[in-house]
Amino acid sequence: MSGMPILSLVTFLPLLGAIAVALLPSSRPGLLRGTALAVALATFALSLVMMLGIDVRGSEFSLTEQVSWIPAFGITYHLGVDGLSAALVVLTTLLSWICILASFGPIKTRVKEYFISFLILETGMLGVFLSLDLFLFYIFWEIVLVPMYLIIGIWGGAERIYATVKFVLYTLVGSLLMLVAMLATAFSHQVATGSWTGAFDLIALRGTVTDPTLQLVAFSAFALAFAIKVPMFPFHTWLPDAHVQAPTAGSVILAGVLLKLGGYGFIRFAIPLFPQAAHTLAPLMIVLSVIAIIYGALVAIVQTDLKKLIAYSSVSHMGFVTLGIFSFNRQGVDGAILQMLNHGLITSGLFLLVGIGYERTHDREIAKMGGWASRTPVYAALFGFFLFASVGLPGLSGFAGEFLVLLGAFFVNPMIAGAATLVMILAAVYLLWMYQRVFTGPLSPFLKGLGSHLTDVTPTEIITLTPLLVMIVAFGIMPTLLTASFGPSVSQFLLAAFSGVAP
Amino acid sequence: MTDTPLSTAPLLLILPLIGFAFTAAFGRRLGKRAHIVPLVAIAAVWVLAMGLAIPALLGDPALGGEGSSLTLFTWIASGDLIFNVGIHVDGLTGALLLVVTSVGALVHLYSVGYMSHDGSYWRFFAYLNLFMFSMLLLVLADNLLVVFAAWELVGLSSYLLIGFWYTKREPGLASKKAFITNRVGDVGFALGLMGLVAVFGSLDIHTILAGIEAGALTGPAATVIALLVFCGAVGKSAQFPLHVWLPDAMEGPTPVSALIHAATMVNAGVYLVARMSPLFAASHEAMLIVAAIGIFTAIFAASIAFTQTDIKRVLAFSTLSQLGYMFAALGVGAWIPAIFHLITHGFFKGLLFLGSGSVIHAVDGEQEMPKMGGLARKIPITYATMLIGTIAIAGLPPLAGFWSKDEILGEAFKFGFGWVWLVGLLVAGMTAFYMFRLMGMTFWGESRVNPAVHVHESPWTMTLPLVALAVPTIVAGFLLGFPFADGILVHGLKPVFAPANELLGHEHEAWTLFGIDGLLMLASVTIAAIGTAIGIRLFSSDHTQLLSSITTRLRPLYEGSRSRWYFDDLNDLVFVQAGGRVARALWWFDRRVVDGAVNGVGTIASSSGRGLRQIQTGRVQNYALGIAVGLIAMVIVYLMVAA
Repeated sequence: MSGMPILSLVTFLPLLGAIAVALLPSSRPGLLRGTALAVALATFALSLVMMLGIDVRGSEFSLTEQVSWIPAFGITYHLGVDGLSAALVVLTTLLSWICILASFGPIKTRVKEYFISFLILETGMLGVFLSLDLFLFYIFWEIVLVPMYLIIGIWGGAERIYATVKFVLYTLVGSLLMLVAMLATAFSHQVATGSWTGAFDLIALRGTVTDPTLQLVAFSAFALAFAIKVPMFPFHTWLPDAHVQAPTAGSVILAGVLLKLGGYGFIRFAIPLFPQAAHTLAPLMIVLSVIAIIYGALVAIVQTDLKKLIAYSSVSHMGFVTLGIFSFNRQGVDGAILQMLNHGLITSGLFLLVGIGYERTHDREIAKMGGWASRTPVYAALFGFFLFASVGLPGLSGFAGEFLVLLGAFFVNPMIAGAATLVMILAAVYLLWMYQRVFTGPLSPFLKGLGSHLTDVTPTEIITLTPLLVMIVAFGIMPTLLTASFGPSVSQFLLAAFSGVAP
Repeated sequence: MTDTPLSTAPLLLILPLIGFAFTAAFGRRLGKRAHIVPLVAIAAVWVLAMGLAIPALLGDPALGGEGSSLTLFTWIASGDLIFNVGIHVDGLTGALLLVVTSVGALVHLYSVGYMSHDGSYWRFFAYLNLFMFSMLLLVLADNLLVVFAAWELVGLSSYLLIGFWYTKREPGLASKKAFITNRVGDVGFALGLMGLVAVFGSLDIHTILAGIEAGALTGPAATVIALLVFCGAVGKSAQFPLHVWLPDAMEGPTPVSALIHAATMVNAGVYLVARMSPLFAASHEAMLIVAAIGIFTAIFAASIAFTQTDIKRVLAFSTLSQLGYMFAALGVGAWIPAIFHLITHGFFKGLLFLGSGSVIHAVDGEQEMPKMGGLARKIPITYATMLIGTIAIAGLPPLAGFWSKDEILGEAFKFGFGWVWLVGLLVAGMTAFYMFRLMGMTFWGESRVNPAVHVHESPWTMTLPLVALAVPTIVAGFLLGFPFADGILVHGLKPVFAPANELLGHEHEAWTLFGIDGLLMLASVTIAAIGTAIGIRLFSSDHTQLLSSITTRLRPLYEGSRSRWYFDDLNDLVFVQAGGRVARALWWFDRRVVDGAVNGVGTIASSSGRGLRQIQTGRVQNYALGIAVGLIAMVIVYLMVAA
């Protein structure tokens, strides 16, 4: 620990930015946008400094910050970073500035409130990835909901209220149960040790929950909260509604970061705290994951709305994350984490692209499109790039994660891997069929009717896509850059996941 | 690194990659000069590749025999599992390099002329270089995961090039179909790889093959894994029942058909099985299925080629059929003849496709043979070279096809696969027939070309590759395959296939002219001559009446052949119609049942008491309140405990 509390700085810089934006006059949207972007870029830079500053080979959390907070209950302000959380933090800070830049054009009303919401959202997400105290984690977890609720509910589409209420209630149900489980765990810790010290501390609690009933009940509650967030089948139906109604940047953050909170929660909290229960329920989780993978892809095939198609593809892709995690082996977990990061890069790109198209057409109906590539070749080429990344083309980043997850599943049961591998065909079907209908063939009457409004991508839009594109190529060729940095976290996870579990 | 014989090999990958990246970035601004960088890159690749292929085939101490390897970098690593990117060159690699870079370079040159009028000239060359990179990675890689990656990348280039003319509807459909059909096979391939990882803890080809030789994979596991890997080959090499994509792939520009869909990429499946020959040799069942699929595809596709009228489709079905020959050869354990045929077929089919492109160019884009005829004198270079290609594929001596086809049939017979030999012999006759039908309808008799079209011979950039390909079409068989069973290729490839032959118990026998070998050769030449004679007789001049009386008598067969034995219709019914219904039913289920339950719970909750409804006002401050209440609850818990 050096003198500078860099974890707190990274976490709360966006919040400070939100306060700064709040103090600026609403009458100057340009200034508001510029300030928000500057703050987000500074946070991004700071998170890179943080990442370079950690030593993944050293102790588990190479940077930590701990301050007593509510001593009566042993609750502390405890932040810590390892390779896994560092990668997710950088993904968050990257997507945040990209989203803020991508919102410059589309967001024209209540600009000030929008950027305040967005910056608070960023603090919430970063806090989730850095918290090592259960209570603190819960606070950040819930903070995330509020700005997201506003972003969809105020700047969203026609049915935004229905979508946003569904989103908030659904996730709230899960997280309240999680809160109860946290309290129960803390209470039992206090009973067992006679002291509140460490009752909410992840590191202190790991391996101490021995009561099988508490394990099962608490794990189920945590798992429900995380399963809704991922989302796992059958808790996924809030996602397509939320995605379709959310503004572009909302969709990007939703797919790029919010869904990862669920996967991260499993890896960081639910499984290390309650490993025996996790193993007991693993078969169920694996079956639900495979259903999500195949079912999401099949339903994606018949979608008529571009955004809904991508949303269902997310259900399918995120199924790989949970499948890998509950394989409980090295390849599965490595693959799951890669899949989280790569889904964050690839699907964010696809949502940005759908948004770019929507700006021109104000429509997402696949049937109305056709021959788009002839008018906007660069847009079509970029779309094709992200699409093939999503298909899992080797050489682009999506492949390594999916292959390792399948390998991990194969070690558990070849039949499970066999079923999940079918998605290789289905993903090609839903994505290429969509591409063929939207971009190839003769120009559709609808697109022709748009005339000169149907412009190609602007330089700003290219700036938002370029970092994603570069990283997709780089991590496609050298996924070892990522696996090496979060590898020790995976080793720790597997140790915790097998502690007290009969071999 | 400098003292390895492979120090220049990475350039084979780097040069086309640079060509692709450069052309993709700046090609648009280069206009009609966009071909220079890609063309130079591939020419350099050709020179470098020959520098490796020739020594490898001639049994150079470093590159022949077991070959040489060079590890470049670690691609994917997870725990103990490490997948490296590396290069391996041996005789088999050399054989593939010979075809891939030679045809590749000539197709690049040909495209300068063929695509000269196209607005997206630069894009075409960018894609071609991307393809060359992927294909070379496929044959050079020493790790199956990298082979799989290259496998998908050639699939991508194929997708991009089939769909090159994207403003038309059909290329979009065909490219999608090609990619998806290939993915069906790739699912099997991927699972086969996982099985190999489970058994060997590695996908390094050398490790796996050494393990199989040591007997680490036998019995049903060997059969299952071999057949899973073979699924990938069936897709990429368009074997029955995944053959449906290749005829449609002819929507791509003709140089693409020649390079990717005849001479190189479709050989990838043959290469894969050959490279993993001990894996297949470890399972007699797997070998039998490979042989059966191959020989069935050979006759099935030939029967369709009989009645197609689009010149490129005839050649496409012919390609399926010839690839079937190669798989039949692999399945009976005739490894070297399979690769021999891969080489000769690559040259003569590349020639035939480029020739058909020259024909199409001459008649202003027409591809239907009933609208051609009488072109022999108007485009003499095209005619002469295509005739050479036709004689070669018909299996008439002394051209290249005769040598390799004869070896396949001969070994099939000698290894005890009489049925493969018999069907193969029949297909040889059928091939000669439909190819001379193609020549007759295109070049002989009266012209049926639209009189408004000015028929002209192609520019030198197009005719030069034709002439250049005619040379190996004539001499490659003799050069590589003589003396029989003792030629250059046999020496170059014998070490590669020695482990597989050992597993099969195949021994090398001397070739006997006045014995079984001579008789078999006589049989195949005779049947090829009969097919040729019938073809020439029926199509040398106008025999419309005779032909129509034959087709009338055989109406169901004729219609079945024309409709490709209804296979596309069956696929449409099963996968598109029925599969679409399943997906739509699930979508209904998702909205009505899964989401219906969620909304139902919400409705019940909100209507079950006005008091409770206050919680669900959707106001954020209420949720903040909820969090506060949670805190208070904790305080109460604390007080209770303290008390």
